[in-house]
Amino acid sequence: MNLLNTRTLSRRTVLRGAGVAMALPLLESMVPFGVRAKDVLQGRQRMVTLCQGLGMHGPHLFPEKAGRDFESTPYLDVIKDFRDHYTIFSGTSHPEVDGGHSAEKSFLTAAPHPGSSSFKNSISLDQHAVEKLLPDTRFPYLCISAGSFGLSWTRSGVRIPADSRSSRIFAKLFIDGTKEEVKQQVRRLKDGQSIMDTVRTQAKRLERQVSGSDREKLDQYFTSVRELEQRLVKAEDWAHQPKPKVAVKQPRDVTNRADFVSKQKNHYDLVHLALKTDSTRIVTLHLGGNNLVPPVQGVSMDWHNLSHHGRDPAKIDQLKLIELEEMRLFAEFLGKLRDTKEDGSNLLDRTSVLLGSNLGNASSHNTKNLPIILAGGGFNHGQHLAFDEKDNEPLCNLFVSMLQQTGIETDRFGSSTGRLKGLT
Amino acid sequence: MRYLIGRVCLISLIPLGFSLADAREPGGKFLEDYCLDCHDADTRKGDLRLDDLDHNYTHPETFEKWEKVLARVSAGEMPPPNRRQPTPRERGELVDLFTPMLIRADAERVAREGRVVYRRLNREEYQNTVRDLLGIDAELKDYLPEDGQAHGFDNVGKALNISSVLMERYLEAADVALDAAIARFKPPATKARRFSPLDDQRLVNNKNIFLPKKDGLVFFSSGYSPTGVRAFRAPVAGQYRFRIATTPYQADEPVTFRVYGGMVNSRDGKTELIGYYDVPPGGKHITEIEHRLPKDGSIRPVPYRTAPDIYQVKAANYKGAGLLVHWIEIEGPLDNEWPPESHTRLFGDIPLKEIELDPRQRRRRRGPPEFELVPKHPRQDAEAVIRRFVGKAFRRPITEADVQPYLALVNDRLDRGYPFVEAVRVGLKAILCAPDFIFFREQPGELDDHALAARLAYFLWSTTPDQPLWDLAAAGRLKNEGVLRGQVTRMLQDKRAGVFTRNFVGQWLDLREIEFTTPDRILYPEFDELLQVSMVRETELFFDEILRHDRSALNFLHSDFTLLNERLAEHYGVGGVRGQPFRKVSLPADSHRGGVLTHASVLKVTANGTTTSPVLRGVWVLEKIMGTPTPPPPPGVPAVEPDVRGAASIREMLAKHREDARCSVCHRQIDPAGFALENFDVIGGWQERYRSVDQGERVRKEVNGRGVRYKRGLPVSAADELADGRRFDDIDGFKKLLLDRPDQFVRALSEKLFVYATGGEMTFSDRPEVDRIVAAVKERNYGFRSLIHEVVQSKIFRRK
Repeated sequence: MNLLNTRTLSRRTVLRGAGVAMALPLLESMVPFGVRAKDVLQGRQRMVTLCQGLGMHGPHLFPEKAGRDFESTPYLDVIKDFRDHYTIFSGTSHPEVDGGHSAEKSFLTAAPHPGSSSFKNSISLDQHAVEKLLPDTRFPYLCISAGSFGLSWTRSGVRIPADSRSSRIFAKLFIDGTKEEVKQQVRRLKDGQSIMDTVRTQAKRLERQVSGSDREKLDQYFTSVRELEQRLVKAEDWAHQPKPKVAVKQPRDVTNRADFVSKQKNHYDLVHLALKTDSTRIVTLHLGGNNLVPPVQGVSMDWHNLSHHGRDPAKIDQLKLIELEEMRLFAEFLGKLRDTKEDGSNLLDRTSVLLGSNLGNASSHNTKNLPIILAGGGFNHGQHLAFDEKDNEPLCNLFVSMLQQTGIETDRFGSSTGRLKGLT
Repeated sequence: MRYLIGRVCLISLIPLGFSLADAREPGGKFLEDYCLDCHDADTRKGDLRLDDLDHNYTHPETFEKWEKVLARVSAGEMPPPNRRQPTPRERGELVDLFTPMLIRADAERVAREGRVVYRRLNREEYQNTVRDLLGIDAELKDYLPEDGQAHGFDNVGKALNISSVLMERYLEAADVALDAAIARFKPPATKARRFSPLDDQRLVNNKNIFLPKKDGLVFFSSGYSPTGVRAFRAPVAGQYRFRIATTPYQADEPVTFRVYGGMVNSRDGKTELIGYYDVPPGGKHITEIEHRLPKDGSIRPVPYRTAPDIYQVKAANYKGAGLLVHWIEIEGPLDNEWPPESHTRLFGDIPLKEIELDPRQRRRRRGPPEFELVPKHPRQDAEAVIRRFVGKAFRRPITEADVQPYLALVNDRLDRGYPFVEAVRVGLKAILCAPDFIFFREQPGELDDHALAARLAYFLWSTTPDQPLWDLAAAGRLKNEGVLRGQVTRMLQDKRAGVFTRNFVGQWLDLREIEFTTPDRILYPEFDELLQVSMVRETELFFDEILRHDRSALNFLHSDFTLLNERLAEHYGVGGVRGQPFRKVSLPADSHRGGVLTHASVLKVTANGTTTSPVLRGVWVLEKIMGTPTPPPPPGVPAVEPDVRGAASIREMLAKHREDARCSVCHRQIDPAGFALENFDVIGGWQERYRSVDQGERVRKEVNGRGVRYKRGLPVSAADELADGRRFDDIDGFKKLLLDRPDQFVRALSEKLFVYATGGEMTFSDRPEVDRIVAAVKERNYGFRSLIHEVVQSKIFRRK
């Protein structure tokens, strides 16, 4: 255990200077006890979660037959090359998550009733993993969106702003600044630390004046300030180190808002590069969905509208063209991961990739029976795990399995009731 | 015996943890007789268990449960109709017994902690505050994460959480704000230039949609129209004036056009609609506009509703209306004062000097000259800057202890050899991240003058108190009833009150969601951008009209007037309204319009773009208008799937739903209000038959010169029966029923106002005060401005 601890608790994780004494609560979570030695030593289990905001047409996705000899479907045909590398799930959802489109807020958190006027969100799967793993990478996580919002939420229920410009994400990951720029950035990071230190002292003064629920808010402030201070210390360390070089040019931002194909492709490519260079190990990518007519051959109506097809066969046909394109992009991404070798294994086997949506039937805003595919990550794949359509399995059980696979010793997350049955 | 004691001081005397299944306890018999069959440990209907309920009201969950029980029982919703019913007297007794006890317990908690949870600025408030403090106009909101909401508003303390992500973004936003405030590059002089579209070869050569004339170019197409002024790029971000000279072409009616601003000539840039403008037929007409442009930005004028099918005939042969554009004059930047006001406000008279460049640097450099601050006494000067800023930023009188930490920070940077402005900047950034800046400072009990000034300023202006408010607070006079009333009047007359309308209406009526769906183009070909912006405008102007003239708040339920422009009047079938500017219009008796429920804006945000759903609209009406929100559906109930094929109506589909006993408890409350609105389609047009894409009769009708493709489907029926048995035939009848209970609506509206005004959710002990206010405004015909005054004067507003 000792050995493991020193490995996990790298020098960057440890606060320097004045911060050390008060960093205790976080320190506790730096030590994932009981983690399988293999994973920690290699430290390379990754997690990528993908969400399609406008759902997937169930009849084109779900096979009828459960188990290993499930029949293919129009959408699964697209990823048939990966049959042994993915599992398709039917009959899963988040128990008390309703509210149509607003359910996307709860896709990775499972917080109940996202549509209600007093909704409070909780931590998302990826952030939970980040807190537990504290990955020693340039970026603890990436939160990316092909639309405008992301999928990641902090423990206090604040939505993490998503990066949606691929040029900027690329620069952040791979482009070194000039000497002068690096110097300036280091100074900015140092100033940030001093600012956080100053305001924390000020908050201390207020502490005596507040009570009850007010104290909770002030505590949130303390925690946030401290966390940021720690992050800035880490970022300062990284700022001194050159960024990894990749043989790809900086992508141009997709200017046509309707062109989800180019957007998703750019983002997928970046995620692949980020994982390959170990710049981060945890990624959430919101695949978007909007009310524009996408440049897909044969599609003449806007996407959101098509998803509300009201059983109009003409609309369902056009929707299929869009969703097949999404599946094709997903397949391409899986291919890139599979073709990237690492330590005698490949990136796909070391990355749990979850593709899903917060909508089961988008046409009626239904949030049950979600379309869910899990690929890679070293699971025993190649099956259709069919759960009860009427009495859904909590999706969080799958999340628990994913967390465990990433090396986190836990048996619960959100509304989970255990590990997902049938997935090993 | 215990019952008697309980009424006096139950909270302290009842032992904790006993079970109410015991019929001897207060309320115990009622629960046992009418509730526990379903809500006991075994059955737990709706996941609600009452057999373990005790009287420890200080426990939030217990309190909430009791609150729920009382609400459902007094509304007659529980027990459900198929169960044995208590007599009205039994219901009354239960409510009378518990209400005072709950009020008391809650009042004690409020006295101890206050009702408003320690609240921070939300991102809109942050932006306005920083803008006002620094005197800048920068976009800051987008740098901050989205705010949480509670009770439908994004300024409620409980939901405004903090995270390290937020703190990081505060640092970033402060940098952006300070960049905008600190003078560095001298902006160019104001210049006016005139552009003729005839000089743009790309336009002149496109013979499909443009027709060159001697004195200008005719714009025909209202669709594709690459008419951005390409010869102009704003040299700096700032305010510009545009004069557009046009004449309607081949038209004896006015021609309307719209103008977009921003990065109109690049494909990835942000553009925004500036407005729609009418051009009367006859001679040359000049439209004058002022608008802010980003650096390199320009404008793009496009005609509206002209020549949809021009491609088939080409511009030269086209006989329909177009817009002859003579020239476009652009003048600016208009706000190029040097040094800018924002700079002087921060730095006072610290000298500003142009950075001298050696000849080689000068040759390489492009752009405007760069300046830097050259203080004579850096330490003293920095101290003055920090003192001044802390004094304004913390919204209260400051002490030495407030200033010192920031001074220390700045001095430390000066000692390390930072340039003056960089050192000061670190201090300013820290102040903008300080708890004293981002949190409201409110102590339990009555608010002090400065806290009251802040609450008022954020209520009506969503920003920091201005000088008059500050002065009154400093003089200790703001708490005076007359003074406070005077300030509310002054603030509502100020143009900053527009923020109140936008934020309050935007959230109360969900108008912020107006862009969420695009109506189906086959079913609703008449929908366009002008209609959408007009929808929102109507509701905001209607709200302003009621507010400004202290008209009855019941106008929100039904009014005999509204505010319309030509586009919206056409949509509503109201004649005699020409031109796109809005004006007040009396509604004909048979228009079915009047009141926000019939506003196209509300009808659009409550539909999904393809179909209407009485359930969604019903839930909306209960929550927003009647103040009786329904709980979310129980898990595992499938939603009704919409069907536009025209075979089955939503009423038939819902009928099945309502037969299910689990569903009917709520749906007999929800659905009627939704059905009442069923005569309005997804864009708020009047419908007596649903539109369908498949089954139904052909419709012979043209929209913008094209035949429509939708069919006339099944008939709509809006008649229904409220849960209490009162029947209505359509929206007119439904509104009458709402007007029969005016207090219910005014109470619901007051509660929304209170949540928004204070940033705290309503609590049980607020009820008597709300009742008092409702009674008070009733005396004044429910005047809406009177209601605002009552809210501000109330104990609820004036206490934490």
